[in-house]
Amino acid sequence: MDWAPIWLSLKLATITTLLLLVIGLPLAYWLSKGRSVVRVMLEALITMPLVLPPSVLGFYLLVAFSPRHGIGAWLAHTFNIQFVFSFPGLVLASVIYSMPFMIGPIKSALQQLPISLAQASYTLGKTERETFVKVLLPNIKSSVLTAIVMTFAHTLGEFGVVLMIGGNIPGVTKVASIAIYDSVEGMDYHTANNYSLLLFAFTFVIVTVVFIFNRNKIKSPLE
Amino acid sequence: MLLKINKLYISIFLLTICFISITSVASAQTIKVAAAANLQSVIGVLGKDFKQKTGVTVEPIIGSSGKLVAQISNGAPYDVFLSADMDFPAKLAKNGFTDKPPVVYALGSLIICSTQNIDLKNWTKLIVTDKVSKIAIANAAIAPYGRAAEEALKKMNLLDKVKPKMVYGESVSQVNTYITTGVATLGFTTQSLVMDPANTTKLNWQPIDPKTYAPIQQGMVLLKNKNGNSAPAVKFYQYMLSSSAKSILKKYGYIIP
Repeated sequence: MDWAPIWLSLKLATITTLLLLVIGLPLAYWLSKGRSVVRVMLEALITMPLVLPPSVLGFYLLVAFSPRHGIGAWLAHTFNIQFVFSFPGLVLASVIYSMPFMIGPIKSALQQLPISLAQASYTLGKTERETFVKVLLPNIKSSVLTAIVMTFAHTLGEFGVVLMIGGNIPGVTKVASIAIYDSVEGMDYHTANNYSLLLFAFTFVIVTVVFIFNRNKIKSPLE
Repeated sequence: MLLKINKLYISIFLLTICFISITSVASAQTIKVAAAANLQSVIGVLGKDFKQKTGVTVEPIIGSSGKLVAQISNGAPYDVFLSADMDFPAKLAKNGFTDKPPVVYALGSLIICSTQNIDLKNWTKLIVTDKVSKIAIANAAIAPYGRAAEEALKKMNLLDKVKPKMVYGESVSQVNTYITTGVATLGFTTQSLVMDPANTTKLNWQPIDPKTYAPIQQGMVLLKNKNGNSAPAVKFYQYMLSSSAKSILKKYGYIIP
């Protein structure tokens, strides 16, 4: 069995999760602070990949990053970057696509914390940043872990967008889900089964771990 | 309360039945034709002509030949299969999905194509330069046009040199998308793409020397269904070999045997 697609999937999921953690924590905090029009609209945009068909994102990315016009032409000429058919392109697509899984749990956990927690910290002279890092974050540890794990697992399972903008290049964009599709189409059911079984077991373990970790709380890891 | 819920369940159930029956009524005078992706632009025209002549609607299912064979082998209810080669339909014949060996209905032509204004006449020199960053090609394992393109590149000792630039479409349709959106600098595809009058993208293209790849003989088979071959399916099979189908195929750049 060729392990390259599996490694590539793990690499993509790891990088995406790390990036989203860096983007997600401050963004979720900002979103949790109020309900202004801007916040609501941004949150709607972030959540949309949950319900939007992946083909919509795939199509727009394909058009946006075509070196013939717009952003794609600018990127190609000034930086010599082409996002379509490249690993960074997959990372970009995955960051957009998995963002609700990172933002959602963290934001709702922050909103459920009693406001007195932050107020007490401010009264004791702590800045907003200190309060967030030292008071709020430790109190939502399990939700952050849920967010990380679900983001990772969801990126592993990404398929539609990658199929449209990846170009199926071995070692670059041929991730595990694409390798499975490819072997099924080529009637190589043995290889397809190997990859699928591996992903099945791996995902099962991941989700089980989240449930065990959250066993004291009666809620789905998606919240 | 319980009664209300029961009522709700019953109405949902009835509604579902209604939808299922609506969808099955429509299939009376319809045949499902599995067509290789290179036929994407021409199958609609053929279907329209066939409907005019017989009143039967053609429902095309487009995909790479390999993918369609995988579907048929696993019980997809298609009536006729139009492949992009002879091997895939021969495989179906061998496994008992059809009674007759495949017949050639057209010969395909491979072209190199781009939206950019580059000199494709000397494409063999061009594709190794920096001017070409991505080359789109169909997956050779399941798409005969991809196989032909790899064969041509190999014959010219270019395959290994351009491999790092290659991006793979799951069928020539996806290759066409990569070419027409411009995300790939150029690509190897079917001539029918540029012969399609509905295609509004300005394309720059050159035929690939037919001596460099084995002729793309496109084969057709009539598929066995649960209740044998339906009359409309047989009619379509015969229509594909008729002079009216041949003249349409010719218009789209196919060579007629």
